[in-house]
Amino acid sequence: MPDAPALISVQNVALCYRRHKSLFASQKTAIWALHDVSFTLREGEKLGIIGRNGSGKSSLMRIIAKIFEPDEGIVSYARPLHVQLLSLGVGFEGSLSGRENAVLNGLLLGKSRAHMLSRLEQIKEFSELGEFFDQPASTYSSGMSMRLGFSVAMETDPDVLLIDELLGVGDAGFKLKSRKAIEGKFSGNRTVVLVSHQPDTIREFCDRVVWVEKGRTIMEGPTDEVMAHYKEAVAKESGLGAAN
Amino acid sequence: MPAETTASPGLLAQCFDAWSRYRDIVWYRTLAGLKSEARQNFLGYLWLLLEPAITTAIAYVVYSVIWNNGGTDRVVMLLLGTMTWQWFESAVTAGMTGIKGKLHVMLHFPLPKYIFPLVGVLTSTWKFLCMFLVVLVFCALAGHPPNGNFIYLPLVLGAQLTLIIGVAIPLAIAVTYFNDLLTIMNSLFRLMLFLSGVVFEANQVPPAARSYFYANPMAGLIESYRNIVQHNEPPIFAALGYAFAWGLVLMVIGLLWSRHIDGKILKHVKHHA
Repeated sequence: MPDAPALISVQNVALCYRRHKSLFASQKTAIWALHDVSFTLREGEKLGIIGRNGSGKSSLMRIIAKIFEPDEGIVSYARPLHVQLLSLGVGFEGSLSGRENAVLNGLLLGKSRAHMLSRLEQIKEFSELGEFFDQPASTYSSGMSMRLGFSVAMETDPDVLLIDELLGVGDAGFKLKSRKAIEGKFSGNRTVVLVSHQPDTIREFCDRVVWVEKGRTIMEGPTDEVMAHYKEAVAKESGLGAAN
Repeated sequence: MPAETTASPGLLAQCFDAWSRYRDIVWYRTLAGLKSEARQNFLGYLWLLLEPAITTAIAYVVYSVIWNNGGTDRVVMLLLGTMTWQWFESAVTAGMTGIKGKLHVMLHFPLPKYIFPLVGVLTSTWKFLCMFLVVLVFCALAGHPPNGNFIYLPLVLGAQLTLIIGVAIPLAIAVTYFNDLLTIMNSLFRLMLFLSGVVFEANQVPPAARSYFYANPMAGLIESYRNIVQHNEPPIFAALGYAFAWGLVLMVIGLLWSRHIDGKILKHVKHHA
């Protein structure tokens, strides 16, 4: 969507994790996760961010989600935006029931209590938790927690959805269902940022790609073009001749 | 350099929506804290009343029966001091560890950092209110039934809650940067316990030292509780105003500091984790 208006503009962003000095420790006090990252996210765009482990992709997502403030550079938003980082089951309280956790999780994700209360039946149905929906979350298996977390996330409707390596959760049946639901988020006019180090996933879902390596933007452009260069670089470095 | 956000005409409405959302988050997490403790035991919520009842009974047996030191009046005096002090100490401690304890949640959601200390403070406050109810019942049985000055109790409780929140928020941020503060505060609480008039009454303090004694806002609050419940007298209004002002000033400092470090503090904590 090259003509769509810019929604988020990231300019020369750098991020540093700082450690305060300790009397008996001599570790480094500053670690730069990002050095110089720039790109533009346009309205309705499906933007992929690719890069190998440790390239700074997750830190970048947290900056876009306004969880981290960059140490250098500017992130500007076209208007006040509800930007949501898709996090499944984070913030669940074991002592609360699935129903209460669904409301609490929705509140954490930026929705109002009234909105979440109106969506509870859909969440219960999608999560397939049945009677467990009114049981404490401490009685859930990890798969059940993921199902509830996913169902809540699908009932929130952010302006920008940030997905970090998450495509399909739960057992085989739910995995298909959740993947379909995620694919639904990629259809239509929704703005989505997908972080992955899997070239196939990026190719399947994204119109445009930003390639980040060692905290720097290496390339930004159409998916095929960027992925061809990425594949070449990975192959060259690994000496295998081709990447996935 | 902060991320820029363009203002919109609906900014006030958005602020109100955000405030309602934060209030609901605090409520749900406080509920979770209370449920979590209750579900660990067979007697559940009953412990909220049983625990203070047992403490009260022990204090009665030790001070009034075994030592026969001052009779039930001394027990009432000690209970009012220890319970209200315990509220201050436990709520500030719970609030102080609020940010560090919820790092995993904050790394996924952009939330103002003061929410988490507030949850700790309010969970402790609900528990205290149950305890306080038991203490008031004991006081009534010990010859100090509710009197007209009880209408001032919400004022004293409100002043103490403001003070607790005011102390807890800046400490929660400071502890994140300087973990040693947790140990320092524990020692300071021990010292303050003896300087706040928990185990003695204000009139036992030498006149020359009174101004120093009252410089500690908890001293005037504890004396106010005793005035109302034990002596059927109004609270010390100046002490309430003093504690309230301390709480308010510290709260404003805490909220401004929380806003200042909002996008920065997690980079520090994450690096430590």
